Amino acid sequence: MKKLLNILQYNNLFIKMFLVMVISIISVSLLITFSTIRMSNNLFMDTFSITNTKVLNQIKQQFEQFSYSVVVTSMDVENNATIKRMLTEEYVSSIDASTSFYSIKKQMEKLYSDRPNEANMIILGENERLFNMKYVNWSVSGDDLMDHRITKNTKENPNQILYQFVDGGEITNSSAMVVATKALTERSTNHIYGYLYIPIRELDLRGFYDDYTSHGNSVMLVNGSGKIISSDDEELIGQDSPDLLKLAEETEEQSLEYQEANVFGKDQLVLTSALPALDLYIVNLVDQELVIHNLVNTKEIVLISTVIVLLALVVVFIISRRVTNSISRLVKQISNMAKYDFSKPVKVNGGYEARKIANAFNYMLNELQEHVDVLMKSQRKQRKSELEALQHQINPHFLYNTLTSVKLLVKDGKNEAAFETIDALIPLLQNALGNVDETITVEQEVENIKSYVLINQTRYGDRIKVNSLISPDCLHFHLPKLVIQPFIENAFFHAFTDKKQGFIQIMIAQRNDKLVCEVIDTGDGMRIDRIESKEGKRQLFSGIGVRNVHERIQLLFGEEYGVEISSERKKGTEVKIILPLLDGDSKDNTKSKNSTKSQYLDEGNF
Amino acid sequence: MKEFQWKKSRLFAFALLTLIVLAACSSDEESGASGEGDPEEDPDTITAWAWDPNFNIAALEIAEESYDEDIDFEIIENAQDDIVSKLNTGLSSGTMKGMPNIVLIEDQRAQSFLQSYPDAFFPIDDYINPDDFAAYKLAPTSLDDKQYGLPFDTGVTGLFFRTDYLEEAGYSMEDLTDITWEEYIEIGRDVNETTGKDMISLDPNDLGILRVMIQSAGEWYVDEDGTTVNIEGNEPLRKAFENYKAMMEADFVKANSDWSQFISAFNSGDVATVPSGNWIGASIEAEESQAGDWAVAPIPRLDMEGAVNASNQGGSSFYVLNIPGKEKAAEFLGKTFGENEEFYQELVNDVGALGTYTPASDGEAYQAGNDFFGGQSLISDFSTWVEDIPSVNYGMHTYSIEDILAAEMQNYLKGKSLDDALADAQAQAEAQLK
Repeated sequence: MKKLLNILQYNNLFIKMFLVMVISIISVSLLITFSTIRMSNNLFMDTFSITNTKVLNQIKQQFEQFSYSVVVTSMDVENNATIKRMLTEEYVSSIDASTSFYSIKKQMEKLYSDRPNEANMIILGENERLFNMKYVNWSVSGDDLMDHRITKNTKENPNQILYQFVDGGEITNSSAMVVATKALTERSTNHIYGYLYIPIRELDLRGFYDDYTSHGNSVMLVNGSGKIISSDDEELIGQDSPDLLKLAEETEEQSLEYQEANVFGKDQLVLTSALPALDLYIVNLVDQELVIHNLVNTKEIVLISTVIVLLALVVVFIISRRVTNSISRLVKQISNMAKYDFSKPVKVNGGYEARKIANAFNYMLNELQEHVDVLMKSQRKQRKSELEALQHQINPHFLYNTLTSVKLLVKDGKNEAAFETIDALIPLLQNALGNVDETITVEQEVENIKSYVLINQTRYGDRIKVNSLISPDCLHFHLPKLVIQPFIENAFFHAFTDKKQGFIQIMIAQRNDKLVCEVIDTGDGMRIDRIESKEGKRQLFSGIGVRNVHERIQLLFGEEYGVEISSERKKGTEVKIILPLLDGDSKDNTKSKNSTKSQYLDEGNF
Repeated sequence: MKEFQWKKSRLFAFALLTLIVLAACSSDEESGASGEGDPEEDPDTITAWAWDPNFNIAALEIAEESYDEDIDFEIIENAQDDIVSKLNTGLSSGTMKGMPNIVLIEDQRAQSFLQSYPDAFFPIDDYINPDDFAAYKLAPTSLDDKQYGLPFDTGVTGLFFRTDYLEEAGYSMEDLTDITWEEYIEIGRDVNETTGKDMISLDPNDLGILRVMIQSAGEWYVDEDGTTVNIEGNEPLRKAFENYKAMMEADFVKANSDWSQFISAFNSGDVATVPSGNWIGASIEAEESQAGDWAVAPIPRLDMEGAVNASNQGGSSFYVLNIPGKEKAAEFLGKTFGENEEFYQELVNDVGALGTYTPASDGEAYQAGNDFFGGQSLISDFSTWVEDIPSVNYGMHTYSIEDILAAEMQNYLKGKSLDDALADAQAQAEAQLK
């Protein structure tokens, strides 16, 4: 969980950037896709309505041509004296009949041959004689036709050309047709001597507009009573659709280019054109959904935009990953640096910006380090001089006490002892007054300690015995001055307040390439923290106290060296001084061993 | 810097790849459109044009059923005149668009098509054996020794008559057998007088009866060569004209103006006889209430030397148009009309259509009696008469000459002298056919 949080935090920048990119890319592509589809739909609908209006006009022209030819034919037939005579004449003989049949047919052929389309032509006389130019289209018999509704309607409107729909029943041999009818009347008497029928099969009527239709783009003819008399969708033929008629009338009245309406359960574009002469409306229905579906391949568009979005995302992913990664790495390095090491420069890689930042950061780091180095140097100098000053302060009481002891010895005639004491004091002073940086050999230090012990024993008696155990291979090693002495002093004056006598053991040996000096007493023991609190107490020999020793060692040699104190009440105290193995010219040695790292850390303790 | 360039070029390559992928996506759609509209490809549907639902269309339907192979077969009914005009329009324009694979053409018109549009039809010698068919059918259906038409019905004529009406007037089958047209007119007068029914129904625009008469004497509107107009001085034609006028004057002719009126004339019982090609049998049988009232006698002959009591009217044959699907269509015809004897039995039984495929005439169905015609062995009779049909060369211009003759016939009926009428017709025909 924490790991996940870490990863999240580490990738924070990337996630933010990437999310913003993803959202914007997707929304942009979605918006563009939708607006493109919408725009093309609108454009298409507009152009579609324009072209379809033209188409409708062409269809209208065809119908007008047709109705014109019907008018011309009906006038011709009505004006044709032969036809009139043949229809009114009563036939008595076969010859008469034959002659009239022949001539009427000839006249009709003449008229019929002018007809431009598939329409039939039938003339029915009042004597129920019927002349049919295309009996295959409609083989109707005279009496059937005479009794038919269309003839009766014509009879009622003798001066009008009526366009009547006859559905595909028995009489029409199951093919629906539209019949233009006109009564043939004698002008003077208004007597109806016959009827002219120009039937056109719905099938042939469809030929007027069939070429312009397609799936989803249908044309139909609606007559004045709302009946669909012709349509490229055969199921609709003969149906009553007052809604469609109303729509058509509306469109015509308001002279709209087109209307959008729900017709036959579909959203359609309705274009209409009126044929007042035929009492018909040509209605063009465009199934919006279907047509648009054909126009816009939504699947393809969606596919393309998906591919583009995915590719863009991949590119964005790679690029932003590259940018943020270098920055994140930089951030990680910098934040880790605070934890561990300021000296280590950050790696310069990644994008241009990241590299610039890293370079600047490294430059700043160098400057900082230099500054710290200077600071450290001056600090150390100051500390050294402080320690030096302390070391040089040989406690006057020590001298006074020692000299007093010597005086008493001389007075008691113990010249030998007095001499020994002075002899011990001389190297002790010599040693103390020298350079604090100077090192002495273990052998010399042991001598110094012996001198010091001797002086103390002279003064305070020998109830505290001091033994030293020095490994012979250590004798030539060097160590800083006044490193062991403060602990001996400490043991002398503080470890034996309850117990009145005991031992102090000094052991120096080489262990793990380190010089280990141990001062073990068998005194009262103490609490470790009290060592720290001894600050205020005046040192008996020199200004250098127990605490300073540790500090000094670490200052000189580094962290891994120093003083360890362990103590147990009533049992005694054990002090372990750990030093490097130093040969002869130790001064350079110590300096070179000081790594920057330990310097920085020490600084933290200041 | 080098690394930067490499990265840049990699990005560029990536963009290029993207472009290609996208382009490939969008180009897929366009490639699907090709492949249609190849005119050489065989169509799935074989279409056929014919005109009589009771007869030749019914025959095609039976053929389709008896055809073993699965075939998409569409029969379109068109009036014969329409077929002729559509063929003429289509073939003369040379586009062949909308043309059927199989078309039925009347024998008397066949030569005009074969000669006018020599490349439009597909020879079917490889699919049938012409020797299997009646010899008189081969001349009009072939050209330059190539067989184009598959002979369908014989068109052998007979005199269909109402036995009840004629009996009422005192005539029996025997009285009608092997008579002349003059005798026929006499009988007609009697029938008209006794029953009040007309003897015959004629369309004044269609001189089919004239053709029946002259072919029984072995003559036609043109000479043997098929082109020389032979009207003036054509004795059989002269006789036929006289007979036609005699019928009119006898006043027993019910005029009709189209095919449906012609059918209804005998279906309604208004006329006593129908001298016609045997194919009219199907239409007569369609009126079931008159079952048993009909019989067929041999067609009357002209009263002259060489005339026989056998003629031909309106026999037709199937032709394969030279358009994609022709092999399929020819194969279909060859396997059915060309060799299937059983199919012919079925044809006879169900449609009453008498084919000209001679091996089929031995079949049982040919011998069977027809109950509608009082048990008469109709097919057998027709088959016998087929053998007597005089062979004539119809030539190319039968119907255009007939138009002229029809007009002259009207003039003749109105009183113009026959010599003048024929002479005028001859002159007009020669002028028109030049």
